[in-house]
Amino acid sequence: MTGRVSLTPQARQQLGAVADLRWRMFVNSLRTFRGRLELASRIFIGLAFVGGGIGGAIGLGGAAWFVLLQGNAEWLGGLLWPVFLFWQLFPLMATAFTQNVESANLLRFPLSYRLYFLIRLAYGSLDPATAVGSLWLIGIDIGIGVARPSVLPWATIVLLTFAVVNLVLARMLFAWLERWLAQRRTREIMGILFFLFILSFQLIGPLIAVYEHRSIPETRMLGQKLSNAQRPLPPGLAAAAIAGSVQPQPGSSVVTTSVIPFLLLLFYGIAFVWLLNFRLRAEYRGENLSESAGRKALTSRLPAVRPGWNLPGLPGPVAAVFEKELRYLSRSGPMLFTLIVPLFMLAVFRSSGKNQGLFAHAPGLTFPLGAAYSLLLLTNLSYNNFGADGSGTQFFFASPARFRQIMLGKNLAHAAVFAVEVLLVWLGTCLLYRPPSLGVTLATLAGILFVLPIDLAAGNLFSIYSPSRVEAGVFGRQRASLTTVLASFGIRGALFGMGALMLWFSRGYGNSWMELLIFLLPAAFAVALYVFAMERVDGMALNHRENLISNLGRRE
Amino acid sequence: MVSPTISTQNLTRRFGDLAAVEDVNLRVAPGQFFGFLGPNGAGKSTTLKMLTGLLAPTTGRIQILGLDLVSNMVEVKRQIGVVPEGMALFGRLTGSEYLNFVGRMYGLDHETAAKRTAELLDFMQLTDQPRALVTDYSHGMQKKLALAAAVIHGPKVLFLDEPFEGVDAIAAGTLKAMLQRMIARGATVFLTSHVLEIVERLCTHVGIIHRGRLVAQGSLEELRAGVEAQSAGLPSAGAGVPGEKLTLEQIFLLIVGGSRTDRQELSWLG
Repeated sequence: MTGRVSLTPQARQQLGAVADLRWRMFVNSLRTFRGRLELASRIFIGLAFVGGGIGGAIGLGGAAWFVLLQGNAEWLGGLLWPVFLFWQLFPLMATAFTQNVESANLLRFPLSYRLYFLIRLAYGSLDPATAVGSLWLIGIDIGIGVARPSVLPWATIVLLTFAVVNLVLARMLFAWLERWLAQRRTREIMGILFFLFILSFQLIGPLIAVYEHRSIPETRMLGQKLSNAQRPLPPGLAAAAIAGSVQPQPGSSVVTTSVIPFLLLLFYGIAFVWLLNFRLRAEYRGENLSESAGRKALTSRLPAVRPGWNLPGLPGPVAAVFEKELRYLSRSGPMLFTLIVPLFMLAVFRSSGKNQGLFAHAPGLTFPLGAAYSLLLLTNLSYNNFGADGSGTQFFFASPARFRQIMLGKNLAHAAVFAVEVLLVWLGTCLLYRPPSLGVTLATLAGILFVLPIDLAAGNLFSIYSPSRVEAGVFGRQRASLTTVLASFGIRGALFGMGALMLWFSRGYGNSWMELLIFLLPAAFAVALYVFAMERVDGMALNHRENLISNLGRRE
Repeated sequence: MVSPTISTQNLTRRFGDLAAVEDVNLRVAPGQFFGFLGPNGAGKSTTLKMLTGLLAPTTGRIQILGLDLVSNMVEVKRQIGVVPEGMALFGRLTGSEYLNFVGRMYGLDHETAAKRTAELLDFMQLTDQPRALVTDYSHGMQKKLALAAAVIHGPKVLFLDEPFEGVDAIAAGTLKAMLQRMIARGATVFLTSHVLEIVERLCTHVGIIHRGRLVAQGSLEELRAGVEAQSAGLPSAGAGVPGEKLTLEQIFLLIVGGSRTDRQELSWLG
C-alpha cells in the first residue's frame, strides 16, 4: 500500500458501485418474509450491541477514571485487554455478524489494487465488533479525560492508533483465515485448532480452582508475571504509552516511558498492514488455490481397486452406506476430534477440585453422565443425517436402495461411533476415577438401549424434515436448523430425565439384575418404536425429496 | 409396434402458479439416442427429474421400460442410470471408493463392483490420482466420474442432465465414446444439452420443450421436414441457405422463435 490515498474518478465510481450493490442486495433481501424476519432479528441484535457498547463504554470509562484517580494508570492495560480480545475474537466466533467479501466476485472487475485493498478494509469496518470496540475506547478516553484533562489529547491519539491496530489486525486475521480455509487440508487443521481453542476455555475453571487455594503472595506473583508478559503486546503498549504520560517514571524521560511504547504500537500496526497487504496482493494477482488433481502420464494397467467392506449379515446397500459414513467421518478432522472430548471432559472434571473433582459426591454417576454427554456430541450427525452428503443426497433418491436401508446404514455407523465413545468413557472412568460397579455399568448399557433407538428415530425424522447442508471442516459459517437444535435438546432432556428416573427407581431394589430388567422393558419399547418409524421412512423421504434435494444441494 | 422405453402421458409439474412442465407426451423407443432440448427455463431438468423419480409429477403418468414409475419405483431405478443436475457425487470419497459404493447400492457383489470400478476408472482416465478425494477433482473429472457411476450397473436406460457442460474436448470425447458404447449394446440414452452441435452429431432423435410444452419430437429428418414444410413460402423463415439442409441449430431457433435476435442491435457495438 503505497502512494496517495486520493482516488481517481473511476475508482470513486467503482467504490460507489460496490456500495450501491450492497444496498441493493439489502433492499432485495427484504422482498421475502425470511429477509424481513432477518432484518427484525438484526435490529434486535443491533440494539443489544448498542446496549452492550454504551453500557461497556460507561463501565470502562468509569473504571479508567477510577484507576487514574487512584494513581494506578498502569492498570489501564486491564481495561484495554477486554476491548482487544472482543475486537479480535468476536468476529471469528460469530462470523454471521461479519461482512466478508468473496474476492473472486470483485477481482473480475478492473479494480486497482489500492481500491481492492480499501474495499477489503472497509468491509470489516462496519461490523459490530468494530462499533462496540470503538464505543468502549471512546468511553475509556472520556474517563481518562475527566480524570486528567491534560492527558486527553495524547490519550486520544494513542487510543485512536490502538483502534486502527485492532481494525487492521482483525482484517489481517480474516484474510489469512480465508486463505487457510480455502483448501481442505489447511481447513481441517484450522478446524481442529479452533476446536482446541474453544476447549481450552474449559480449563479456566480448573485453573481458578487451583489458584483459589494458593496464598495471596503466590497469586500476586502470578499477576506480576502476567502483567510483564502482556506489556510488549498492543493493549499493554497502549496502556504504557498513556500511563507514561500520566505518571512519568522517576529518572526516565517521557520519550522512553510514553513515546517508545507508542512507536512500538505503531510498529505493530505497520506489521499488520504489511501482512494484510501481502495476503491481499496474492489474491489480487490471482493466486491458484485449486486442489484439482494434476494430470500425470496415463497408466496402461487397470488400477488396483480394493473392494468395499465385507460386512456379513448386512445387505449390500446398508453395508455400503455404513462404510461410506465411516469413511466420511474418518476424513473430518474436527468430527474425529469430538471422539476424545468426553475423555477430555472427564479429565477436566477430575482436575477441577480435590479428590475426585465434580464427581466427588457421586462417583457412580461418572460413567452414565459421560455416556449421555457422548450422545450429545453426536447431535450433528444423527439429527442431520444428510448434512454432509450435500448434493450427493440426490443419488439416494436415484438409486434402487430403499430409504430405510440408507437410514439403517447411517444409524448403524452412528451407533458404532457412539459405542466406541461409550467404551472410551468407560475406560476413562476406570483410569481417572474408579471402575464403575457392575450394576451401574449394566444399568447404563440398558439405559443406552432405551435412549439410543428413540434418539436415532427422532434424528431420522428431523434429518428428513429439517435438513441443513454441512460443509465439512468449515467452522463459523454453518447454518444449523434452529428447530432441530431446540428439538434435539428437548428430546434428549426428556429421554435423560426418564433414564434418570428409572435409574433412581431401580436403585431402590439394590439388585443389578433387577435394575437391568427395569431398563430392558422400556428398551424393548424403544426398539419397537424405532422399527415402527423406520417402516414409514420410505414414504416420508419420498414426500420430502424436493425439500431434501434443494436444501442439501444449495450452497449458502 | 415396439413399445417405447420411455413414455409419458400428460406429464405436468406445477410450482405454485407456474407450470414448469405441462401435458408432455414423450415417446422414446429402445436403442434411441434422444436429445431433449429447450431454452433456459423451458422445463428440461424438471422433466428429467420426474423421469428419474427425483421429483413427483403434479399430474400425468410416466412409464419406463413398460413399468409405471410411481408403482415400480425401485424396479425402474434398478434398470436406469442417472447423471442428475449437480452430479450427486459424494465429495469426501475417493473415485474408486465412490464407484464401489454406487455399485453396491445397485446390488453388485463386492468383486463385480471392484472389477467394474477398475475398468471404469481406466476407461475414463481417472487413474492418475488414486488417493484424491472427489471434492478435489476438476469439473471435467467429476463429470466423467458421474457418468462412470451412472453406468456401473449396466443400465438399460441412461438419463443425463447436461453431460457436456463445462467439459473440455478431451473429456467430452471420452464421454461420447462411452455413450456410443452404451447405444451399441442396446441401451437407450436420454440427454439434455445446450450444445446443439453435440446433440446433432450424437442423437438420432430429438425432443424440443419450450415454456413447459413439448413443441417438437422425432428424428432429425422428421423435424427438418416439418420445419421446412411449415416455413415454405414464408419470407422471414429463411434461416438456411436455399438448397442446403437446415442444421439442428436453425431448426431449434425456428421452432422456439429465437431468430428474432438477428434483428436486434446494440447501439454501442455499432
